[in-house]
Amino acid sequence: MTSSGYIRVPLGLLAMSRSSTSSLAACVWIPLFPLRCEEARQGGLANYPTALLAPDTTRKLWQVSSLARHAGVKPGMTVSQAIGLCPTLRLIEPDPVHYDERFARLLAALNEISPVIESGELGLAYVGTDGLEGIFGSPWKIIEAIRLTVGRSDGRTVRLGFGQGKFVAWVAASRSKPDEAVIVPLGAEKAFLALQPISVLPLDSSLHRRLRLLGIRTLGALTALPEEAVTAQFGEVGRRLWRLAAGRIVEPVAGRIAPEPIVAALTFFTPVGERELLGHSLEQLIARALKHPRRIGWRVHAVRLRAGLEGGGSWLATHLLKDPTADAGRIGAPLKTRLEQSPPTGAVERLILEFTAFAPGTTELQLFARDAQAAARAGQQRALQSAAREIRMRVKRSSLYHIVEVQPWSRLPERRYALIDYEP
Amino acid sequence: MVASSRTPLRIDRLRAVNTPQPVVLEWDESGGLTVVKGGKVEAILESWRIDDEWWRQTISRAYMEVMLEGGKRRVLFQDLITGQWFAQLP
Repeated sequence: MTSSGYIRVPLGLLAMSRSSTSSLAACVWIPLFPLRCEEARQGGLANYPTALLAPDTTRKLWQVSSLARHAGVKPGMTVSQAIGLCPTLRLIEPDPVHYDERFARLLAALNEISPVIESGELGLAYVGTDGLEGIFGSPWKIIEAIRLTVGRSDGRTVRLGFGQGKFVAWVAASRSKPDEAVIVPLGAEKAFLALQPISVLPLDSSLHRRLRLLGIRTLGALTALPEEAVTAQFGEVGRRLWRLAAGRIVEPVAGRIAPEPIVAALTFFTPVGERELLGHSLEQLIARALKHPRRIGWRVHAVRLRAGLEGGGSWLATHLLKDPTADAGRIGAPLKTRLEQSPPTGAVERLILEFTAFAPGTTELQLFARDAQAAARAGQQRALQSAAREIRMRVKRSSLYHIVEVQPWSRLPERRYALIDYEP
Repeated sequence: MVASSRTPLRIDRLRAVNTPQPVVLEWDESGGLTVVKGGKVEAILESWRIDDEWWRQTISRAYMEVMLEGGKRRVLFQDLITGQWFAQLP
């Protein structure tokens, strides 16, 4: 087994990792990052109308260049629609592993500036800058250091923002021009945010439409309403949006030192295209990775399956498990679904499985995790009995219950459900 | 024959869930509800009344669902027979 270097991991998952935070943030944003990677790889591509095909279904467009956009081509269009609008359109097969590696290199470069780096989607990263003024000086000098670092590879397209908390930094970056920065001085957050359009908020399309129907087009217009009124109208989401718009929420950059992922890989003697064989290989890789000594006592929370394709392309599937698990079937199911629904576009030369995030759970849950392994060998029932007995011994009473319906139709809440001792 | 792995349900071992807890409320000068144990009241979302079981022990309650500071929700009701207030989860 091998291991790679920096791996992007979902936020808030990594109990195995250490973390540090910073309230002052610089946002580094490279819009259309995958397309920019292709332009960097193929010289002269930027001079043509270009579209990147979607990684999950290659019949639709994922990202389109500005020249293609001028011709009326939009993301989400089918290939035939796009070609109809722009016959000179250059279509590019996606290479998600390449984009991921480029982004990992960018994050590693930013790590030279600050130890507190938080990654967002591809092309978006936050740099924690608390304390950096002692090294670089003013925010402008910090931004300049970041620009020089990023500029080695992606300088012409990067947008930079600086401010208190991630949201202000992100809004600042989204307002800046390519290779420029917007810096929001401390104390000026409210005035800066008030002028911004509501589209900078993390809204879904329906909420965006509702706000526009109410005539609310800027963050200032939103915060002019009482917080309670927005909360009453839009619930907890509305409260969060109001507070973001008012600059009341300062989300710090949370840097995490990612744990070393558990990796299992398989190289095929001859490239493989049959889905059944790929599925079987995936099962073998999962079984091998689960046996890794570092996995014992931890449940898998995020998995990634990479495929190197014949002829140089790649395929990538990542999945975040809602319920962390050590069960091979539950880890493999979403990846198999992905293999079925949007298989690699070519024959696979090498298949690589990575467990990239883990959840420890409580002592009791770890007890279950270990017992679940035993259950696989000796039967789930026996394992549950053993776990329940051990919990009872530890806490001196039965603390496992079933929730049973008593009168679920009752208008009196206390009559609807009850607890009963759980004795497997 | 395979024995059932389920323990038979025994009514005497049922434990109540979400039983109403007596609560002291605070009201402002204009009669508006301001504070419940657990937080400041931000909004009253809904109110309703239940009159039931007149054939045995009459239940007569005035309910309201409130949102507390921080977004938590609580159901409050006044027992209209004793006048006492209770809180429980929605």
